[in-house]
Amino acid sequence: MIAREAKVLLEVRGLQVAVAGVEIVKGIDLVVRAGEIHAIMGPNGSGKSTFAKALAGHPAYVVTGGGVLFEGRNLFELAPEERARAGLFLGFQYPVEVPGVGNSAFLRLAYNTVQATRGKDELDPLEFDDFVRGKMKLLDMDPGFLDRSVNDGFSGGEKKRNEILQMALLEPRLAILDETDSGLDIDALRVVASGVNRLFTPDNAMVLVTHYQRLLNYIVPDYVHVMEGGRIIKTGDKALALELESRGYDWVMEEYRARVAA
Amino acid sequence: MGEEEAAGMSTAVAAKHPYVEALLKGCTELPHSPLSWLDGRRAAALERANALTIPTTREEEWRFTDITPLTRIPFRPGRSAPRLTERDIARFETPEAAIRLTFVDGVFSPELSATAGLPYGVLVKNLAAGLETHCVPVEPHLARHAAFERDVFAALNTCYLRDGALVIIARNQDCPTPVHLLFVAAQKEIASYPRCLVIAEAGSRCTLIEDYVALGEDAYFSDPVTEIVLGDGARVTHVKLQREARSAFHIATCAVALGKDAEYASHTVTLGARISRYNLSVVQQGEGARARIDGLALVSGRQLADTHSFMDHARPAGKCVQLHKCIIGDAAHAVFNGRIVVRPGAQLTDAAQESRNLLLSGTAHVDTKPQLEIFADDVRCSHGATVGQLEQEQMFYLRSRGLSEARAHNLLIYAFGAEIIDRIPVPSLVAQLGRTVLEQAQTAA
Amino acid sequence: MSAVLEHLVNQPYKHGFVTPVEADTAPKGLNEDVIRLISGKKKEPQWLLEFRLKAYRHWLTMQQPHWANVRHAEIDFQDIIYYSAPIPKKKLASMDEVDPELLRTFEKLGVPMHERAQLAGVAVDVIFDSVSVATTYKQKLAEVGILFCSMSEAVRDHPDLVLRHLGTVVPYTDNFYAALNSAVFTDGSFCFIPRGVKCPMELSTYFRINTQESGQFERTLIVAEEGASVSYLEGCTAPKFDTNQLHAAVVELIALDDAEIKYSTVQNWYAGDEQGVGGVYNFVTKRGLCKGASSRISWTQVETGSAITWKYPSCVLLGDNSSGEFYSVALTNNRQQADTGTKMVHIGRNTRSRIISKGISAGRSNNSYRGLVRIGPKAENARNYSQCDSMLIGSHSGANTFPYIQVANHTARVEHEATTSKIGEDQLFYFAQRGIGAEEAVSMIINGFCRDVFQQLPMEFAVEATKLLGLKLEGSVG
Repeated sequence: MIAREAKVLLEVRGLQVAVAGVEIVKGIDLVVRAGEIHAIMGPNGSGKSTFAKALAGHPAYVVTGGGVLFEGRNLFELAPEERARAGLFLGFQYPVEVPGVGNSAFLRLAYNTVQATRGKDELDPLEFDDFVRGKMKLLDMDPGFLDRSVNDGFSGGEKKRNEILQMALLEPRLAILDETDSGLDIDALRVVASGVNRLFTPDNAMVLVTHYQRLLNYIVPDYVHVMEGGRIIKTGDKALALELESRGYDWVMEEYRARVAA
Repeated sequence: MGEEEAAGMSTAVAAKHPYVEALLKGCTELPHSPLSWLDGRRAAALERANALTIPTTREEEWRFTDITPLTRIPFRPGRSAPRLTERDIARFETPEAAIRLTFVDGVFSPELSATAGLPYGVLVKNLAAGLETHCVPVEPHLARHAAFERDVFAALNTCYLRDGALVIIARNQDCPTPVHLLFVAAQKEIASYPRCLVIAEAGSRCTLIEDYVALGEDAYFSDPVTEIVLGDGARVTHVKLQREARSAFHIATCAVALGKDAEYASHTVTLGARISRYNLSVVQQGEGARARIDGLALVSGRQLADTHSFMDHARPAGKCVQLHKCIIGDAAHAVFNGRIVVRPGAQLTDAAQESRNLLLSGTAHVDTKPQLEIFADDVRCSHGATVGQLEQEQMFYLRSRGLSEARAHNLLIYAFGAEIIDRIPVPSLVAQLGRTVLEQAQTAA
Repeated sequence: MSAVLEHLVNQPYKHGFVTPVEADTAPKGLNEDVIRLISGKKKEPQWLLEFRLKAYRHWLTMQQPHWANVRHAEIDFQDIIYYSAPIPKKKLASMDEVDPELLRTFEKLGVPMHERAQLAGVAVDVIFDSVSVATTYKQKLAEVGILFCSMSEAVRDHPDLVLRHLGTVVPYTDNFYAALNSAVFTDGSFCFIPRGVKCPMELSTYFRINTQESGQFERTLIVAEEGASVSYLEGCTAPKFDTNQLHAAVVELIALDDAEIKYSTVQNWYAGDEQGVGGVYNFVTKRGLCKGASSRISWTQVETGSAITWKYPSCVLLGDNSSGEFYSVALTNNRQQADTGTKMVHIGRNTRSRIISKGISAGRSNNSYRGLVRIGPKAENARNYSQCDSMLIGSHSGANTFPYIQVANHTARVEHEATTSKIGEDQLFYFAQRGIGAEEAVSMIINGFCRDVFQQLPMEFAVEATKLLGLKLEGSVG
C-alpha cells in the first residue's frame, strides 16, 4: 500500500524537548513519508502535544537534544513562520482567540504569505473571498465566520473547523493535527474528518495526535504510535488503535517495561 | 504595635473630631477582657479612632455620600436593651433558619435566640461566650481582617468590641440550615456596634443571614463589622439584609478572606435607612477561589444607599462575578463604587462586574464607578454599567399584550430586582423580598 | 487700564534682570515680573496682562493635584524658564548629520521624503519651500474668511475675538496647570471659522510642517460660528526630542449652533529611556464647549509619547441636541504612565456622547482610563455610550479603568463597557504557525484593537498611527 520509495517528509532523530526546564519528550525517532497518515496516541501527559508544538517551534518548548529534518532541511534553523511557509502545519488543540482581528483578513494574509513563499500569485480581497467561500462550503462552514474575529467567541467545534479551513487554504506538505477531535460532537467530527480526508494526497502527509481512537474510524492511519513518558514505546497499524480502545494503555506500558528490563 | 503588652484600654479618649469623641464616650468604661490580645486590639482601634475624623465629601471614598445628617444626632451606646418577646420579632423570623442569634440594640438576647440541637462541628454562639471557650481559633482572625487603620467606623466598632456573633464550622462540616443573625433596633438615638466573626474551616459549608431590622421609625445608628474567613475549599453563602428604619443610619463593614478554591456568595439587599453605606472587601488569599457578589439597593424618599465593594485578586486563577443593581425612586440617591484589583502574578483571573441602575423619578440620582485595576496579562476582566429608566420597548410589548401601563411598569421593576432576589437560596426570603420590591414599585408608579 | 498698572508696566525693569529690555530669556522661576516680561515682550494689550496676573495670583493659592494614578517627583516650578525667545535651531547641512535612530523611525513610519528633512531640522529650502506653502494655504483660507494664525498674531490682529473667548471654556481657576498656563502661555494657535463656512481642508498638513516649536505652555483657541465646521490635527507621528520636562497646554474649543469641530492629536513626545529617566510630563487641559444647539465636538487622540500623560479632553454639552465624542488610543511602554480619558458633561436636552477608549500597556508601564459622564438634572433624554478596552502586553504592566458615572435625570441612558485582552506568546505563535511574522502579527492585532479609533483619523495619519504603535512596541512582544 505504501510505496517504500516515497519521499521522506519528516525525519525525527532522538528528539528531546523541555518545557520550563522539565524534560517532557525524552528521545523520539519517527520517519514520515509522503502519502502516509500517522497517528500518535497515548495517555494524558505522555508528551504528544509537546512533540507537536516543538515541531512547529513554540518558543516555550526548548529542544534539548536530537534533530529533525523537514524535507531534508534542518527544521530547527527555521523560525516558526518559516516552518509554516515551508509547509508544516499545526492544527492547534486550543486555538487562541484574537479579538479585533477579522477572520477573513487573517486568512488572506496567511494565505498570501504562504503563496508568495511558493512563488505563486497572491489574491486580492475579492478573489480571495470567492476562493475561501469555496473552501468553506467543502467544510460545511457558515460564511458568517469570515466576518467574525479570529476564533473570538467561537465554540469548540467552530474553532476546530476554522483550523481545518486554514489547513485547506495553506495546503501544507505535512499537517500535524493536535487533538483535533477533542470537544467535537459526532457530526462535527465527521465533517472535520471528511475535510481532512479530502485534503490528503499522495504528496503530503498527516500526523494525527489523539487520545481516543474514534477519529481513526474516519481517518485510517497507516501507522499508530503509542507515546508514554516522552517516548514512542510501540508502533503498529490500525489494529493497534482498536486494541488500545478495548484494552487501554496499561498492557503496552507493561510490555515496554518488560522489554526495557530484559 | 506591641499590642500584647498594652493590657486593657490604656489609651484615653482624646479624639481629633468632636463627634467621634462623643461617640467614643463610654467605650473606655467597658470592662477589661481577660484576653490581653483583645484589649490590645481595642486599644489600637481607639488610638486610630482618636486620630481619624468623620469623612466628608472632599474625600474620594465619600465623594457622593454626605453623612452630615448623622453628625447632627448625639447617639449614645446601648447599654441595656428593652425586654422583647418572640411576638415582637415574629415578623422577622425566617422559617428555614433553625439557628438564630438575636441582638437588641447590639446587646445579645439569649431568650430570643435558638441554638438548640446544633449539629456536630457547628458552633453558633454570642461572641463573649465564644471567646471563653474558643479563644484559640478566634484569636488569629478577630479584628484581623476588617482594617480599621483608615476607617473611623470600623475603628469605632472595634473600640466597642466585646460581644457579637461567633460562627465556626469545623473542617468538612456542613451546617444544615441557614444561620440567622438578627439585629433588632428598639430604642431611639442608640448607637450599636454589632460584631460578627464567621470561620468556615477547610471544606465546610454554611449559609448566613445577617439581618438588620427595626421595631420603630426613630433614628438610631448601626455600625456593624463582620469578618468572614473561608478555609481551603470552604463554601459560604452570605445574605445581608439591611431593612433598618427609614430614619436610621447604617454604616457597615464586611471583610472576607478566601482560601484556596473557596467559594463565597454574597447577596446584599439594601432597603432601609436614611443613609446607608456598605463596605465589602473580599481578598482572594488562595488560588482558584471564587466569589459571586450580588447587590440590590431599593431606595425611595430621600434615602441614600452607598455600596463600596473591593475584590482583591491577590492570587492566580480566581473568579469573581459581580452584579449590583439599584432601583431609585423619588429624590433618593444611590452610590456604587466597585473596585476589582488583579495583582501582579494573579494570572488566569476571570472577573466580571456589572452595575445596573434604574431611575424611577425625575429627582432620583445615581453615581456609579466601576473600577478595574489590572496588573497581570493573562486574565479575562470586564465591567459594565448602565443607567436608565424602564425600556419603552418592553413597556410597549407588555401593554400590547393587554397589561395596564401601571401593571407593566410594576412588573418590569419587579423583574429588574428579581434577578438578584431569586438567587438567594432561602425561599421565604425570596418571597418576602419579592413582595417588598413590588410594593415599592407600586408606590413609585 | 488702571493708571497704577500702566505705570508699572511701562516703567523700566528694576528687579531681577540685568538687562531687562534686551533679555531674550527670563531667569529661572516665576513671579509677577516674569509675567510682565512675557506680556511686554509680546506687546500684549493690558487686558491680557491682567488675565495673566489674575491667573498667576490664583495659581499661588492652588496645590499640585495628586489624584491621578501617576507617580513623579515633585515639580519645582521655580526651576523652569518661562520665557525664552525662539532661537533658530542649528540647521544641519545634510541628512547625513541626522541621528540615525531618527532616520530609522522616519523610514518605518513612511514619512514622506520632503518632510523627513524638515522634521529633522535639515535646511530644506531647496526641497521644500515651507514659507510659500504656508502662504498658499493662508490665502486659500482667507478667501473663505477663516482666520488661522498663531495666538500671538491673533492677540495683535483680532484682539476682540480673543478677548471674547479666551478662558471662557477653561477658566484660569479650572485647575492647577490651567492656571499656570493662563499665567505664562507663550504661544499656540488660533482658529476662527465664520458662520456657515466649512473649512475646505484638514488643518493638519500645514500644521505638521510648521508649528513644531510652539513651546511648553501652548494655548489654543478654536471658535466655530453657527453652521461652521473644521477638522484640526495637531502633533506629529515622528518623535519630538524635547528637552522641556513639563508641558502644560490649554486647548479651548467653542462650537455655536450647528457647528462642528473635530480635533485630532497624535502625541509622540519623548517618553524617557527604558529605565524611565527623562521624558516629558504632559499635563494638558483640553475642553470643548458645545455652546449652540445641535453643535458637535469630537476629540480623537493617539497618545504614545511622554513619560507621564495626564489629559482629559472634554465636552460640555450645553446646547440642546449637541453631541460630544472622544476616541482615544493610549499606548504606554517601558516606564511610561498615562492617566487619560474624558469628561462628558450633559447639560442640554437630547445631548449625546460617545466614548471609545483603547489602552495598550507594555513593559513596566501603567495605563489608566479615567472618564466622567455626568448627566445634569435638566438634561432630558441624554444618551451616553462608553467602551473602554485594555490590552496588556507582558505581565509587568498595569491597566486600570476608572469610569465615573453620575446621573441626575431619569430619562437618561448611560452605558459603559470595558474589557481586557492581551498579546501574548500564544497569539504570536498562532500567527507564526500560519506563516505570519511577529511584526505583522502585532500590527494586525493592534490595528484590530484600535480600529474604532483609527477610523476617526484622516486616512494618512491612520496608516502612520498604526505603524507608530508597532514601532513603539518593538521588542516588547514575544
